[in-house]
Amino acid sequence: MIEVKNLVRTFNSGDKTIKPVNDVSFELAQGTLASIVGKSGSGKSTLLSLLGALDKPTSGDVVVNGVSLAGMPDSKLTEYRRRDIGFVFQQFNLIPNLSAVDNVMLPMEFAGIRKAARRERARGLLEQVQLDPEKHVRRINRLSGGEQQRVAIARALANAPRLILADEPTGNLDEQTGGHIIELLSSLSRDHNTTILVVTHDRSLANKTERRFRLQQGRLTEEPARTRATAASPA
Amino acid sequence: MNVLARSVGNAFRNKVRTAAVVAVLAVAIGLALSMLVANQAVAGKVAELNASVGTVLTVNPAGGQGFEGGGEPLTAVQAATAAAVPNVSTVVGTKALRLRNAAAAAAQAAAGQGGRGGPGGQSATTVTTSLTAAVDAGTLGNRNQASSGTTGTGTSGGAATPAAPAFSLPITATGVGAEVDAAGKALELTQGTGLGDYNAASAGALLGTTLAEKNGLAVGSTFTINDQTFTVAGLFDAGTAFGNNALYLTLPAAQTLAALPGELSTLIVTVNSMENVDAAKTALQAALGSDKADVSQGQRNLQTAVSSLGSVKNISFIAFVAALGTAGLIILLIMVMLVRERRREIGVLKAIGAPNRTVGLQFVLEALVLVALGSVVGAAVASFASGGIATALISSNTTSAAAAGGAGTGQRGAGGGAGFPGGGFPGGQGNPFGGANQLLTSVTASASPGVIAAGIAAVFGVAIIGALVPALLTARIRPIEVLRGE
Ligand SMILES: Nc1ncnc2c1ncn2[C@@H]1O[C@H](COP(=O)(O)OP(=O)(O)OP(=O)(O)O)[C@@H](O)[C@H]1O
Ligand SMILES: [Mg+2]
Repeated sequence: MIEVKNLVRTFNSGDKTIKPVNDVSFELAQGTLASIVGKSGSGKSTLLSLLGALDKPTSGDVVVNGVSLAGMPDSKLTEYRRRDIGFVFQQFNLIPNLSAVDNVMLPMEFAGIRKAARRERARGLLEQVQLDPEKHVRRINRLSGGEQQRVAIARALANAPRLILADEPTGNLDEQTGGHIIELLSSLSRDHNTTILVVTHDRSLANKTERRFRLQQGRLTEEPARTRATAASPA
Repeated sequence: MNVLARSVGNAFRNKVRTAAVVAVLAVAIGLALSMLVANQAVAGKVAELNASVGTVLTVNPAGGQGFEGGGEPLTAVQAATAAAVPNVSTVVGTKALRLRNAAAAAAQAAAGQGGRGGPGGQSATTVTTSLTAAVDAGTLGNRNQASSGTTGTGTSGGAATPAAPAFSLPITATGVGAEVDAAGKALELTQGTGLGDYNAASAGALLGTTLAEKNGLAVGSTFTINDQTFTVAGLFDAGTAFGNNALYLTLPAAQTLAALPGELSTLIVTVNSMENVDAAKTALQAALGSDKADVSQGQRNLQTAVSSLGSVKNISFIAFVAALGTAGLIILLIMVMLVRERRREIGVLKAIGAPNRTVGLQFVLEALVLVALGSVVGAAVASFASGGIATALISSNTTSAAAAGGAGTGQRGAGGGAGFPGGGFPGGQGNPFGGANQLLTSVTASASPGVIAAGIAAVFGVAIIGALVPALLTARIRPIEVLRGE
């Protein structure tokens, strides 16, 4: 369960202040697959960074399973990012000189998991996102954009987080691969009770999610609820 | 993959830059280690000098020194007087002889050259030997030979000059009353044994290593002085080419050879402690009478050497600290640059849950990898350069010391080219600047593993401090950096 309460983030650029996130409030039950659409520059990435504790809000609060992020010390926020959040970035943000497996192993290393165990799990996750086994040990900067995106998703899953925040996870993929990624995320939310919030420009992708939000000039509105296109069970 | 493996990987991410950084670090570290080695070598020498010569006083006949000057010779009576002075622990009498190679002396006499010797009265006796000097006359020797009282050559037409035989250096033979060298320092025997009772006549002799080698002698071999046969009882190493072109006899043997029984060239007086040296010197001078004897302080003679060594020690230490600081600064700047360059990547690590200390540690370890490589190359540089650097430091420093001390004496007794065995001590060790020079050049800068290890430990200490600043900077990078465009 994640509760977002009157979240505001302002930036001062030059003499004027902009508010990419302006009084945003919503709640997501555990295991929900939700999407956010909005024009470029509408504040989608900024909102995700606040939910994932990459950034601190100007005002408002995010409460995760009853625990407020506001006023949490930095070390606890680090632990929150490591344990509870899986981030898939718009620009992958993998470590370029490490192999695919090593990248996926990183969050587990920070969580103190033994080397052999994390290697095994990393291999399994890469198989799950359908990366060719021979590419597991290849350096990231020798993989294609789509392959990198899949490694990024595998890394987000590494510590089995409760909330996955994905910023345009299919932006760099062809329709077929993109569709597969969505199915993967969808089955995760269903089978592992993982809450997933996906930012996307892709209407058809958004239409496959249980809840759809629209962000316009920092303000969030929810579109009417739909049943899942892929599954019969409602939220 | 763990932090260390990542750090090593990152250190080699840009190979060209890594090579450049390692090269610059190696120069700084190499310089630091060389300076430390030089510093240690000089410090060791200073300690040795202070310990060995600090309490020794030398008594010469008033107005004379070695083979020069005039005045009345010293006798056993004065040795006894000296021994009775308070705080004097031992008195050793010496009798110095100048040995000439018998064949060379005969040839020179035939060529019409006059008897050689110092301008003074003490060396009238010419003593011949079967031995040949281990030191070639060289430029300095021939120059001194030409200027010191040779008569009859070159002045009356050019004919005599080409026929003059090559000048060969004399050998100093010193009769000593104990197993010490002419400066009062215990002889370092490398082979054989001592001469037993040094106050009893004996046909044994101790030879300098190079002198023995030159003449093909070993322990047990024999040679002659004034047709008297002596046996090599032992070999010693004085540490210098000049010092090793000498031999020691028992005191009575030398006195007999000189045909001057009871006469002494010098008294080597050892005072019981450093603090009493000044008082003992005054008392000794008073007891012997200033018209009869000159008392000089070995330490005083060596003070110039010790103080110029002291300044070399300080200079090398400052240079060590400066080079160390430079290495630290290089690390600091490189790491600050790397942290700025990898800002976004640091953001990524934090965004996926890396604690600050893990990120900081990763950068410190990366810096240490660079320092380790720099140290390996730097230690290699130092092992080649430290000898040269120490010598350069010492010679530039003593040139100025000798120049400041006055012309004329500065060149004496320097290295293998010693012109004549002058100096406060018959062995040629004590002339203020000649002796200093010799001591200074005998400082050997050898890179001992202990010193190198201590130096590298210091380098790592400084590198950790240098890397800590950028590592702490990483703590201030926020995870949101991950969203910033490059
Ligand atoms: N650190 C910052 N300082 C100033 N302005 C910022 C900062 N970060 C974001 N912005 C601004 O906030 C607005 C929202 O940015 P954000 O990245 O959230 O948009 P977005 O909806 O993710 O767009 P896109 O779809 O193109 O990724 C933009 O106008 C951006 O320029
Ligand atoms: Mg965005």
